[in-house]
Amino acid sequence: MVHALEKIQQLLRPNGILLDIHPTNEPAALAVRLIEQIIPAGWVNESDDYVEYEWADEALQRVVDSERFAVERVGTFEFVWHADSMNDLRAYLAEEWKDAIIDDVTAMRVEELLKLPVPDKEILVSEAIRIARYRRM
Amino acid sequence: MPVLLDPEDTETKALHDYVDFSGKRVLEIGCGDGRLTWRYADRAAHIVAIDPKAEDIEIAVEECPAELRDKIEFRAARLAELDLPAEKFDLALLSWSL
Repeated sequence: MVHALEKIQQLLRPNGILLDIHPTNEPAALAVRLIEQIIPAGWVNESDDYVEYEWADEALQRVVDSERFAVERVGTFEFVWHADSMNDLRAYLAEEWKDAIIDDVTAMRVEELLKLPVPDKEILVSEAIRIARYRRM
Repeated sequence: MPVLLDPEDTETKALHDYVDFSGKRVLEIGCGDGRLTWRYADRAAHIVAIDPKAEDIEIAVEECPAELRDKIEFRAARLAELDLPAEKFDLALLSWSL
């Protein structure tokens, strides 16, 4: 990862900007929205990606420590996926996030909440995303 | 309904809050199918968008709006193998990819 950042440093003009966006190492939260009420149901579990996000943070810190880049601004935002059913969500995960796991207890809780006689309901998956702006030195 | 990603557009708002893309020469690393590229491309001067997954790049090329085709160059490539002149870009965007 540090090699990638060194390559980026070469390709950027002096004082150029590096904008990094990646999920934090917090698991994605799974919830069901019933009209305006949001009921937590569990988590989307995964291990490898979260370790890689920690490595990414460490690599970024290393290029800052070595004065290749300077941190200008860091924050987080919430990235939310919306799904109508567990089948839709599972199909999406199978395609886009193969290592993600929703345990049976969580899946059953989501299914039970979706069976409630409420007209407006959906599944929400929320990921905390880190966004950071760096200046090439 | 398929899964909808970020219909609230929080990612786009954060992106533009952190960076002014106007007139910038941008290198996007990990562009995938262009999901994030479309959110800033209208403002940038020129974009090289790369991803190692050739099938995602094919989708990005197919879905690229006509008015953006002249300014976005999609490449199925890894960063390490990118052969471009030094100091070519104003902005590098690591798109969920480091």
